[in-house]
Amino acid sequence: METFDVIVIGAGHNGLAAAAALGARGKRVCVLERSAGVGGMADGRLAHLVYNLSEAERRRLGVHLSEVDTVSLARDGRHVAIRGGSAAYADGGAHPDAAAYAALHARLVRFAGVLAHLAEAPPPGFEGGLTSLEGLREIARLGKVGLGLKRLGKAEMREFLRVVLSNAFDTVLDEIGDGPLAGALTADAVRGAWAGPRSPGTVFSLMYRLGQGGRVFRAEGSMGAVAAAYAEKARAAGCDIRVGVPVARVVVEDDRAVGVELEGGVRIAAQAVLSSAGPLQTMLLAGVAHFDVEAARRARGMRAKGSAAKVNFALSGRPLFTGLSEAQHGARLVVAPSAAAVEQSFNPAKYGELPKAPVLEMVLEDGRLSVIATHVPYEGWTDARRAALGALVAETVEAYAPGFASLVTGTEVLTPADIAAMTGAPGGHWHHAEMGLDQVLTLRPIAGNARYRLAVGGLYLCGASAHPGGDVTGLPGRNAAGQVLADGVL
Amino acid sequence: MDARVQTRPAAVPIGLIPTPFQSRLEALSRAKSWVNWAGYISPAVLDTVEFEYFAIRNQATLYDISPMHKYRIRGTDAGAMLNRLVTRDVRKVHLGRVSYVLWCDEDGKLIDDGTLFRLGLDDWRLCCQEPMAGWLDDAAWGFDVTVTDESHTVAGLALQGPTSFAVLQAAGLGTARALKPFDIQEFEPGLQISRTGFTGDLGYELWTSWARACALWDRLWQAGAGQLRAIGFEAMNIARIEAGFIAARSDFQPANTAIRLGRGRSPIELGFSRMVDFAKGHFNGRRALLRDKPQYSLVRLDVGGFKPADGALIYHRRKKEVGHVTSGVWSPTAKRNIALAELRAPFGADVADDLWAEIYVNAEGTWERRLERVTVQTQPFFRNDRARATPPGLF
Repeated sequence: METFDVIVIGAGHNGLAAAAALGARGKRVCVLERSAGVGGMADGRLAHLVYNLSEAERRRLGVHLSEVDTVSLARDGRHVAIRGGSAAYADGGAHPDAAAYAALHARLVRFAGVLAHLAEAPPPGFEGGLTSLEGLREIARLGKVGLGLKRLGKAEMREFLRVVLSNAFDTVLDEIGDGPLAGALTADAVRGAWAGPRSPGTVFSLMYRLGQGGRVFRAEGSMGAVAAAYAEKARAAGCDIRVGVPVARVVVEDDRAVGVELEGGVRIAAQAVLSSAGPLQTMLLAGVAHFDVEAARRARGMRAKGSAAKVNFALSGRPLFTGLSEAQHGARLVVAPSAAAVEQSFNPAKYGELPKAPVLEMVLEDGRLSVIATHVPYEGWTDARRAALGALVAETVEAYAPGFASLVTGTEVLTPADIAAMTGAPGGHWHHAEMGLDQVLTLRPIAGNARYRLAVGGLYLCGASAHPGGDVTGLPGRNAAGQVLADGVL
Repeated sequence: MDARVQTRPAAVPIGLIPTPFQSRLEALSRAKSWVNWAGYISPAVLDTVEFEYFAIRNQATLYDISPMHKYRIRGTDAGAMLNRLVTRDVRKVHLGRVSYVLWCDEDGKLIDDGTLFRLGLDDWRLCCQEPMAGWLDDAAWGFDVTVTDESHTVAGLALQGPTSFAVLQAAGLGTARALKPFDIQEFEPGLQISRTGFTGDLGYELWTSWARACALWDRLWQAGAGQLRAIGFEAMNIARIEAGFIAARSDFQPANTAIRLGRGRSPIELGFSRMVDFAKGHFNGRRALLRDKPQYSLVRLDVGGFKPADGALIYHRRKKEVGHVTSGVWSPTAKRNIALAELRAPFGADVADDLWAEIYVNAEGTWERRLERVTVQTQPFFRNDRARATPPGLF
């Protein structure tokens, strides 16, 4: 039987990041991917922008990214161009809320910075007890968060504590008027989430989005380049990446994961198995009988309702958006006319219906318009419904880019159900698990599994469902690898 | 869209529900002393507790156990599902056998105990004190099994006492002679008899549908004329303490119902180490049981004096409080003052000497405090070979 130190299930970017980190420490790693290619949700068909990738990670990967503006489209043509904390009308005119927006953005970025380094390691915990070295390290880490808060100053700290559990709608509209600018910001707070801007905890998810300053990047070439860079990094570290190899089950002996069995019955042995899938899928791979009733119940109860659909339009020519310069066509284009409109787009999804006016994030590429449409139901999809969503999105784009529809030569609609089937992401959710306050930090993905470990020895989670969560950051994978090494299971 | 749940409260009865035997019990009740058992009307005493207790030990008794919760677990994965649920290895429970089982939460604390009947290859019945439908549904998730709540469709009668087999034989059920302790068999269509009970004596439990319950009662009642007595909870409770059996909410707090942290106790703390099979593979709470050292031990105590010690605090060297009595009675058969008590480790297991019970006695309006020496017992207070003899004696 083939034997490795570690088997990683799933060659999404987090699986690859975990593999690379373990490979770099001299472990023999095998990555098994069910689909025909690497990248998972970071693949070009699904993703089109990079948000939260840290400077260090970017350098490590050696990918070339270029920062792009955001343009929030307005029906009256008064589009708002946003870059970081500065906002102006797309035609260059001054935005009346520019100063207030700059202050709000700066504050949120500052707040996000306090929380950001919690993402760089496993979530805090005291399982070693306060007398152990490990316990003291944990105190030191939490102390840093406290110190970061303290450094904000009394007024700012109070403000942080006031808004951190609050909702994006109130927090944003307390500072600026409702319109495309507030719409873009609140849409960022809830994109991919089963939440509207008025849902509690959406300030936290907005801070998560702003964890690296909130800058938005396009990958040179396409998102495929980022996925390929992760794969290249893993290969360079000596990892064996195999695609088109579905894992049938995780083999458990004597309460330890000892390898996997592939579809077809071939077994590969390892001392640890890392899974990019969600906790429930991973438990099912190992067999639910190996887990306590409560653990399975928590995994079943994990919130992962995907709310974002991906719509790819193949185009015969370049559409022209009214009121945008040539350069602005290369920006991230957002259709979120107001915070109220974003909230309203979530309402129908709660009842399993399509939005009347979807919120869109679009990137215009050569021969393609890539669109993330929210909020959509996460289940109950039929071909007719897919077609209806495609038509609805096309119609929405047409309103800002007359003549768009005539350029469309093909429409691909990927619903949350499709995304789940393609990538294994629980519920087709963009963060694998809702980034709600009940499912972050020590509660991510579910209570009791924050340290990437599942109860069966040597079995770990390394996907976006684990701390710190979604986006192309590589952090869940890297943290999981760190935990595997710290646990001494290899 | 209106997402409110529509309920029809008309279908829910108000107040206590009569069991299928209530008409018979009502007619026999002189004491008119009823208790609420799982929502059912159940007799505490029908005549006097002394008559009823001595009937258990000297003749035969009928006790209505229909309020017990009964769950039918069927399906190709039933064995696997149950093996993950309970601490014993159910693969060792053969067709037609009954096993006393315990099941824990993820912290290794006892949720409940009960009897598990293997009725078919993939057909089991779990009988227990606490409502368990929700827990079993969760435990069944991911397994090819169906869990059916039979609590309201299966009636149960405990026929206990040295002459219980004689009553069965007189009722035309003499073929039950072949039953060994912990056997179950269907002797007539729709009538199952198991050689089980809660008294530590020779006895049987009879299971049938609600519709046929009264006919079964009448048949036994006529067969046992003159030597059969209907009993209530109080007499049964004395017998079970003598036998050393634990009861939910007295001797342990079911882990899923205790509100306060730390109230749960593990099967090991309750003295059931030999019923925890760590070698069989994973079961609920296994990792916690392997990890956590026992903090308590439930012990049988022989208490000095004759005043029941129920609820008494236990002291070491008369000073240090180390636990309390969870069930205590005067045992009429052993002629001893007996108790089950929970002691904090290491007392009971490693340190068993110089232990004292603090008993308060109300002597006609004046409270007296008595410190009585207690000694830890390893054997049940009541043991009799007739309980295990097969074929059973015809007394």
